[in-house]
Order: sequence, then structure tokens, then C-alpha cells
Amino acid sequence: MIVRVLDPTHELKAAGVQPAVRPSSLKGKTVGFISNGKEGTKGYFMQLERMLREDLGVADVIWRTKSNYSAPADAHIIDQARQWHAAVTGVGD
Amino acid sequence: MLGSNRPPLSSKTYDVEDFAAAQELFHSSGWTDGLPVVPPTEVAVEACLEWALMPPDQLIGIEPVRAQPITAEKLAINAVMAGCLPMHFPIVATAWQAMMKDEFLLHGVTSSTGGCAILVIINGPVRLEIGANATFNALGNSDRATSAIGRAIRLALINLMDVRPGGIDRTTLGHPGKFSYCLAEDEEGTDWQPLSVMRGIPQGLSAVTVMAALAPRQIMNEWTTDPKEILETFAAEMRANQRHYSIYGGNYAIVIPKQLRDIIQAAGWTKRDVAEFIYERARVRRGEWADVGKGAIVRDRPNKVHTALESPDHLLVVAAGGPAGGFGAVIPPWMGSKTKAVTAAIGACVDCEPPKS
Repeated sequence: MIVRVLDPTHELKAAGVQPAVRPSSLKGKTVGFISNGKEGTKGYFMQLERMLREDLGVADVIWRTKSNYSAPADAHIIDQARQWHAAVTGVGD
Repeated sequence: MLGSNRPPLSSKTYDVEDFAAAQELFHSSGWTDGLPVVPPTEVAVEACLEWALMPPDQLIGIEPVRAQPITAEKLAINAVMAGCLPMHFPIVATAWQAMMKDEFLLHGVTSSTGGCAILVIINGPVRLEIGANATFNALGNSDRATSAIGRAIRLALINLMDVRPGGIDRTTLGHPGKFSYCLAEDEEGTDWQPLSVMRGIPQGLSAVTVMAALAPRQIMNEWTTDPKEILETFAAEMRANQRHYSIYGGNYAIVIPKQLRDIIQAAGWTKRDVAEFIYERARVRRGEWADVGKGAIVRDRPNKVHTALESPDHLLVVAAGGPAGGFGAVIPPWMGSKTKAVTAAIGACVDCEPPKS
């Protein structure tokens, strides 16, 4: 007996969130770091800043820290991020 | 009744040869929690929607961080998979509405390494309608309704929010409540106000409370008739959690069984009295971290006092459990106050504005 079942997933019907346009080069650009505030982010971002500046010629690196590591970035950080050419964020534990 | 005017279901369909083939499809696709599921057929899903008087495309809510819309149809599919009957579906839908409130912080709760589950507590007449058992084995496999409803929450997280282990779910350990974590309050077995009423829902309405919760920590005290001594055991377990897991205050739940409840109630204590006592007693000094191997983070504040509750209102006091035995439970929150428990009425809006005349 054939059983017809329904797909239980969201079927990729996510809201209209699109990835930002990727810059072709970071040379002379401003890159922002959005830290979740956990201890593990410090060493990671320090090393990343060094690599961005020395290896890729990034002009400026701006550090910002979320007020709640499990929530989205605060509105004022998002506002500032509009002035950056690229942003790096993620989990540091 | 929406009846024949109901819009058709829009989910993709799959034809499988039999029940066993359905299981393999769902397991191989990563759509389950590892246990067999009830195949979600159109008839079964339609029955859930009909019971709740919801069209398939009704928006249950939008998860605020990832902006993921949750529709009645998709939620009903997962409820059927979990074993829910149509009469269970309004509870699942209301729980999801509560989970999508900003203050619940669903994304953090379900993605954290901290490993909590979502505890659903049911109050009101609906408990009796669905046959929820609030007595024997209340936090375990007590009955069909709470088992299926709790499982529906998890299956929907897996399939609608991609909360799969190693995917969005980054939990280090987790706990068994991540299969199903739902209980009803034993309102018939206590003179205390229901949890939902304590949290602002009018008496007589059915409601659910959702809480980002760690595993229950069971306590036992059968050797006193002094309410303070009984509650001191609960407070001690909360202090232990503060020392060993997270020192920060948040929504704790305590489940008090009938044997202990009868003593506390006979002494004239209300739930509010219980909460105020626990608030005063469940607190530790930051320096105590040094006693349990966490001296490195005491820093220069060894005498700073951390309360397990930000205020007495943050304690969820739940009457549940079998009639005999002095066994209670402390259910700690996920990471202090970053998430807040949310209570919502089922099938009623208690904070809607009246219609403008």
C-alpha cells in the first residue's frame, strides 16, 4: 500500500536574508569584528587582525562586542557595521 | 469551521511503499530524533489543523533571530510525527508562539553548547481533556499527551529551525529532556494557585509555560514536617547548581510532590511564600567557586553574592508527582537570565487590546 507523506522541513522557505556582496580585495579596506564577548574570541581575533593587516593589507580593524553572547548584535553595532567593507563574526567559546 | 473551504496543503509529498519505507525516508533524511515517527499523511495533518481551526498557511510566528516563519501546516506535520492527536495540536502551537517571543531567545537556547531542552508546563482545563497525568512519574513517561507534545517541540526544532546535533545545535552533552520535556501541573491535588495564574493568566484558562531548562536534579527529604527544612533541601540543590553549572540567576522551576506539598500547605504556606523563602536561601558567594575547582574566575570579588533568582517571581513552583514519596526536583535554567520563561494562554489572547468602537 502506497503511503503519501508530507515533507516536515521548512523547505528552504526562509525569510529574504541574502549574503552581503563579497569584496574582491581587502586591501585598504575597513574590517569589523563582532565578538560574542567570550574569552576564546580574544586570541582568535588578535591573530586574525594581524593576518588581515600584514597579509591582506587591511587598513583598519574595528572591534565591537555584543552585550549578550547568545543574541544578535546590538542595534548600534549593526548601524556601525554599515560603514565597514566587511565584518567577521561567529562563535568563540 | 473552515471545512471544504480550507486552502490545500502546500508541503512537498513523497510516496513510499509502506510504514517501514516511511521510517527509512525520514531517518535517512535527518527528519527524526532517532526514534520511529508516525508518518505524516494529509489526513492526519488536516485533522490537527481542523481541530485548531487553523488554515495551513496560518503564521504561528516568526523566529526573531533567523527570521524563520513557522506555519500551522509545518508545525502540524511535526506534531503528527511525534504522535500527537489533533487535540494536542493547539498546545504545541501555543508553546511555539511562546518560544518565539524575544525574551525566550530561542536561537540561543537551541544552539548553545550549554545543552538545555525546552520544558513545557501545561495548566488549566485542557490537561484533563487530553488526559495529561500530573501525578505518577510526572517528569518521565507519564502519559501519551505530554510525551507526544514534548516530542513535537523537539521534532519541529529539528525540521523547521535546523536544530540538529552538529548543525544549529552545538550542544556539548544535552540531556534526555531533548526527546520530550513536558509535564502538567496537578491542580486537583493542591490548593495552590496554578503556575499559569501565578504568571498572570486568568483562572480557568488553559495555558502553557515554556522554559529553557536543564535536566531535573532530584532531591529527597522525608524526615521532617518543617516547611523550611523541606525547602532548604530544594535551595541547597539550587546552590549546588550555581556552584557547579552557572552562578547566575534566572528562572528556576521546582517540582513539589504531594507528600511534601501537603506538609507545606498544611503550615499555611502559599506558592509566594515558597518563592520568597527560596529566594532568600538560594544564593552563593562568588568565592565558593574556588571550592569546586573554579578559582580562576573568582577574581577580585570573592564576597559578591549571587542569587539563584533575580526575584521571587522568577521561581516557577509546580505541583506534580505521585502521591507518595518525598522526592522533588529542581530544574535549573539555561545560563541565568539570558532567557526568560514565557507563559501563554491557549486559544485566548489575554493581553490583546479591546476592539476600537
